[in-house]
Amino acid sequence: MHLFRHLPPLLLCLLLSFSAAFAAPATSPTPSAKDKCPVCGMFVSKYPDWVATVTFKDTTTLFFDGAKDFFTYYLNMQKYTPARKQADVSAISVNDYYTLKPVDARKAHFVIGSDVYGPMGKELVPFGKLADAHAFLKDHKGKMILRFSDVTPRVLKSLE
Amino acid sequence: MNIPLNRHSNILDFSLSSLLRRKSKNLSLLVVYTLIIFVIASLIFFVQALKREAAQLLKEAPDMVVQRMVAGRHDLIPAAYGEKISAIRGVTSVSPRLWGYYYDQVFGANYTLLVAEGKPVEPGNIMIGAGVARNQRIQASDMLTLKTSANEALLLTVQGIYPSSSELISSDLIILSAEDFQAMFNLPPGQNTDLAVTVANPREQVTVAAKIAELFPDTRPILKSEILRTYDSLFEWRGGMIVVILAVAVLSFIIFAWDKATGLSAEERKEIGILKSIGWETSDVLLLKFWEGIVISLSAFLTGVVLAYVHVFFFSAALFEHALKGWSVIYPQFRLVPVIDVYQLTVLFFLTVLPYTAATIIPAWLAATVPPDAAMRS
Repeated sequence: MHLFRHLPPLLLCLLLSFSAAFAAPATSPTPSAKDKCPVCGMFVSKYPDWVATVTFKDTTTLFFDGAKDFFTYYLNMQKYTPARKQADVSAISVNDYYTLKPVDARKAHFVIGSDVYGPMGKELVPFGKLADAHAFLKDHKGKMILRFSDVTPRVLKSLE
Repeated sequence: MNIPLNRHSNILDFSLSSLLRRKSKNLSLLVVYTLIIFVIASLIFFVQALKREAAQLLKEAPDMVVQRMVAGRHDLIPAAYGEKISAIRGVTSVSPRLWGYYYDQVFGANYTLLVAEGKPVEPGNIMIGAGVARNQRIQASDMLTLKTSANEALLLTVQGIYPSSSELISSDLIILSAEDFQAMFNLPPGQNTDLAVTVANPREQVTVAAKIAELFPDTRPILKSEILRTYDSLFEWRGGMIVVILAVAVLSFIIFAWDKATGLSAEERKEIGILKSIGWETSDVLLLKFWEGIVISLSAFLTGVVLAYVHVFFFSAALFEHALKGWSVIYPQFRLVPVIDVYQLTVLFFLTVLPYTAATIIPAWLAATVPPDAAMRS
């Protein structure tokens, strides 16, 4: 009886860790105290909940303090790192708002227009699951759920 | 370069010997001064250490605790509540907790009974805090008898005693198995004392709490931040008491310093006159008085602070322990972990040493500006 009572949460934990492992990129490096966001210049390690990372094929990693700054960078790499191209990127991860675990940004859902603000103000709040994004939209007066490819410079302009 | 230094050391030498000449006056000055610094510094150390203990204690606390209320009082919460709460988005985990209080009539003491989550003891076994062991005069592998709510004796074997280093938290603690806890209080199955809820994203805690309150209107979610605020205001209250003591100590210091330092005796005035007539300049006299003030106040400050440190951290603030620590039968016996707030000590330094030194110099300056013959004749 003792064992069975603990079984469901245990199973759930296992399931969660598996799904997290599948959703997240193979490696999700953590920012050091010196890492600055290439877009806004703020120290990223102060806002661990909002970290977004871009890993290149040569294994270098850039950290951003929020999905908004990441997209600002990604959609205009010429401006920030002229030597790099979108094709050099091997993995992008953003933190799921509810679990705070990294998820693949290309598969994530982003909610805009909500009452939750990041370190850089209005944010694209990332979620691994669409159902979570819908629930968040409802709870926090969000306006829209966007996929990775939906985020354009015009969307970013509206979040400034 | 060498000459000003020589001048300083000569004047310091002279001021030390002149302090020694009036031994009894200066010694009583030093004692009173040290005592006041001792009281103020003890208070500063004690409050800092208590605040740190509380913060340490709350670091382990869950993000949120959900209690069920019946007629405005805390009641048992069914396990089914926990399952629904863990389905709320943003909740990482929900763990039911069992805990309560037990009054031992023989020893007249209150114990905290808790079912531990991490490594539970086997039914029939318990872990106890050092305060319980002292109170019951038992050791590891002895038996402890508790009376259940059905008035039956429950015999439990003491598996271990918590080390005294954690005594502020564990002094009155008895850790037992869920089965024994249920037998103790005749709890209906599937009921818990409260639920500890973990929320991964701190930003989401308020939303989760609102959802719980909506889902179960008979519950009360308590956020860790609210617990922290309560503790803060508790220490603020105690801090308020401390501010009163502090104000009295500072005031008495001001009166004492004013009295001792401002009034130059006729003899001292005559001495200044003699020094000036044999060729001392006003600046030399001021330097002499400055060194006298510094010697007294600095040694009083250092001795007072060191004594306060020993009092608080080696003797657990024995002087005001009872006024500040609580009113339980089982007093935790613990050593506070030393914390020194440099900022507060600096403030204390500038509030005592500087005013005292200034208070010694000003009357000397007034006396030194009087012509020497007038000073000697007066």
